[in-house]
Amino acid sequence: MDLESIPWMLILPFIIIQLILMLVAIIDLTRVSNTNGPKWLWALIIVLGNLIGPIIYFIVGRRNE
Amino acid sequence: MNNFSVLFQKEWRENLRNFKILWIPLVFLLFGITEPLTNYYLPQILNAVGNMPEGTVFPFPEFTPEQIVMATVSQYQFIGMLVITLGFAGIISRERKNGNATFLYVRPISYASYVYSKFSMMCILVIGSVILGLLANLYYTNVLFGPVDAGAFVGFLGTYIVWLLFVVSVVLFSSAAFSTAIASVVSLALVLFFQFIDALLGAYWTISPWKIPMYAGYVLSGSVDKTPFTWSLIITLLLVVLLIFGAVYFAKRNISKTKI
Repeated sequence: MDLESIPWMLILPFIIIQLILMLVAIIDLTRVSNTNGPKWLWALIIVLGNLIGPIIYFIVGRRNE
Repeated sequence: MNNFSVLFQKEWRENLRNFKILWIPLVFLLFGITEPLTNYYLPQILNAVGNMPEGTVFPFPEFTPEQIVMATVSQYQFIGMLVITLGFAGIISRERKNGNATFLYVRPISYASYVYSKFSMMCILVIGSVILGLLANLYYTNVLFGPVDAGAFVGFLGTYIVWLLFVVSVVLFSSAAFSTAIASVVSLALVLFFQFIDALLGAYWTISPWKIPMYAGYVLSGSVDKTPFTWSLIITLLLVVLLIFGAVYFAKRNISKTKI
């Protein structure tokens, strides 16, 4: 499968939204003073767990105080 | 009413600062896009990652556009509801715990406008995100699978919004009545577990709030039975009103639980 045959017009929005979500989570992680558990671990989860990572961070990792 | 607008502005600012206003729509958008894409490219994906023996032929089912929209809704019914219940479980109880409520309760505000401000903020966020996600989903379905009847889609969306109102009021009520941990368990049970029970034993009754998403699917495919459908809608809306009044009552009763 070569790069030409991939329908970028359809896939691109998906990738962009995912990157925005990851970016928002990372920005939030750097601004928040403390999280549930170590910060570097959350950074790893956000970057590696491509779709679920940021969601889990926002629900579990963030401490709203 | 002035009370309400001030409190609403406070809610708006809070949700802006904790990025909820950004990430919840993004999550629903992502799931809205993923479903048609993965269903459309399933043969290619299997070819690329699953090492099939030469010459394997799968009879892939032909999906209708309505089926794709319903598959997205079933994603929303699980992951979306999980995000809503867990993300908003602390909406009132957290304020009691971190002392924010003390600042509010010493002022002469009405509890009704306090709860309404929360309710309208949640409604805007949740319903807005779902509409956004479903519109993106509709666009992708249109491109990849074919058109969906616009009138049926509007009816489906309206029905699904009634279900979302129910979910929002359940979360709001349990957050007003219990602490954050208990509230998330209660609202999860009421939203996800009851839905599961209704799917399992629901053949014995036709009128229940947990059947609304299913009826929404029937509306989309144009084969809805009017009587149980209308009664379910009426009962659900009544429950929404009751739950909001209950939330106001418990917000008032739980003043003593605020941490100072």
